[in-house]
Amino acid sequence: MAFDQEAVLRRFAQAAEDAHAELTELDQRSGDGDFGDNLRGGLRDAVLRFEKSAGDGGVSAFGALGEVFLDEVGGTSGPLLGLLFTEIAHALDGAGTDPVAAFGEGAKAGLAAIQRVGEARVGDRTLVDALAPAVEAVPQGFAAAARAAREGADRTADLRARMGRASYVGERVKGEPDPGAVGIALFFRTVAEAADQR
Amino acid sequence: MSLPFHPADGDPVPPALRGFARAHADLVELHEKPAHLVARHRNPARRVGLVSGGGSGHEPLHAGFLGRGMLDAVAPGKVFASPHNKQVLEASRKAAGPAGVIHVVKNYTGDRINFGIAAERLRLEGIVVRRVLVDDDLATESDETATGRRGTGATVVVEKLLGAAADTGLGLDELADLGAEFAAASRSLAVASRAQTSMHTGRPSFELEAGELEYGVGIHGERAQKTIDRPGTEELVDRMLDELVAGLPEGPDEVLAVVNGMGGTTLLELYGLHDLVAAGLERRGLTLAGELVGTFVPALDMAGFSLTLTRLQPEWKAWWTAPAVTPAFPRTIEEVA
Repeated sequence: MAFDQEAVLRRFAQAAEDAHAELTELDQRSGDGDFGDNLRGGLRDAVLRFEKSAGDGGVSAFGALGEVFLDEVGGTSGPLLGLLFTEIAHALDGAGTDPVAAFGEGAKAGLAAIQRVGEARVGDRTLVDALAPAVEAVPQGFAAAARAAREGADRTADLRARMGRASYVGERVKGEPDPGAVGIALFFRTVAEAADQR
Repeated sequence: MSLPFHPADGDPVPPALRGFARAHADLVELHEKPAHLVARHRNPARRVGLVSGGGSGHEPLHAGFLGRGMLDAVAPGKVFASPHNKQVLEASRKAAGPAGVIHVVKNYTGDRINFGIAAERLRLEGIVVRRVLVDDDLATESDETATGRRGTGATVVVEKLLGAAADTGLGLDELADLGAEFAAASRSLAVASRAQTSMHTGRPSFELEAGELEYGVGIHGERAQKTIDRPGTEELVDRMLDELVAGLPEGPDEVLAVVNGMGGTTLLELYGLHDLVAAGLERRGLTLAGELVGTFVPALDMAGFSLTLTRLQPEWKAWWTAPAVTPAFPRTIEEVA
């Protein structure tokens, strides 16, 4: 099966437009309320950067995602997502016949990088709670990974934050999922949908 | 109320960086977009580049310690805010030696994350990175939080010792381990009689009554856990030394002392304090084997001072006195050829 990076980028960008209000509201409860803006803005910029460089055969869609989220997107979660996209881009660049396996390896490396930098573990109410189970499920296919990410994001609603800004508000954010984890679930959903369309 | 003398339009950091680079053009060069500074000279024996950075408002830290014998590049953030990972990345690319890069990072969440992201990006480019975390502030010693002690005055000590060690040609892992030892052997404590002036309101960032002292204050105007009745200066220094000596890990009886001004404290005061520190250490059976007095890690214009003690291993002493040619480190024992 081939892997259409551009289709993922475009679907993900559309999904972030659609989820903007929901993500903003979630982040206003637990953080500084900029996650919806950061995700949508980063994806808009990534589409532009990809289109601009597509003509000269420059950057891949995931390469553009990685660069924009690492260099331009604010907050803590933006650059952390950039690490994930960059690792996937690297893995896909070197992919042979099995891009699904390469995507899985890249996502796994991205998770490891995010955990090295952010020092978050599963259960800390961060994007790791969605990313870790998704990475584990990729070998069973993108649909399984998307399901695992969604379930992981849902579980954050019952968790108390130990890291990040949400740790300052403690019990008050219980009942709502972590916006970063919801963003990860959105990403894996669009990966599964793009693969399904082929 | 009285506002500081910053240019009118917003962020005071860029014009200060330009002025700094101009004033020390023989030693440093400034790159903007993203902002970082690079030392013009380095010892050819050095194989590992030393990079530091952090929020501004603590001048001369870190850019003042750029140069032969100390740092190779720095990434300055906005006032009291971590630099962006892109600044750290660019600084590290320029500083990297054949054996990699060391990041000297003060222990704050934002700095840890942004230096960490830069380190991951460098790794993808094939540049090896290790981190030396400075976490010396005794006032934030607590078993209850996962964040650990803040990084404060010992940063200068770590940057000096590590710079001299790097100039002996040591490799990345040896230097990173040494840096961790320098930090682990150091503890600091800071007090303030007046908070720093807010750049926006021109008022002190927190209020203290006359006769009160903020005991265990941070370098960003984080309030201490306790506000105490201000004791006499001799008694205050004694109390701080008691806590510092008790807080230091076991080690040699030779110590290095830093008497650091917090920005609004005169040298007349700091040298007087140092006289008390020297006598106090002697009474405690400790030998003063190195010393540094002045304003090195301030919190804008806070009135106060910090004391840092580092237990010196015998082989570290030569690193403390080794020449350093930087804008701000005062100890240049001999001419560098």
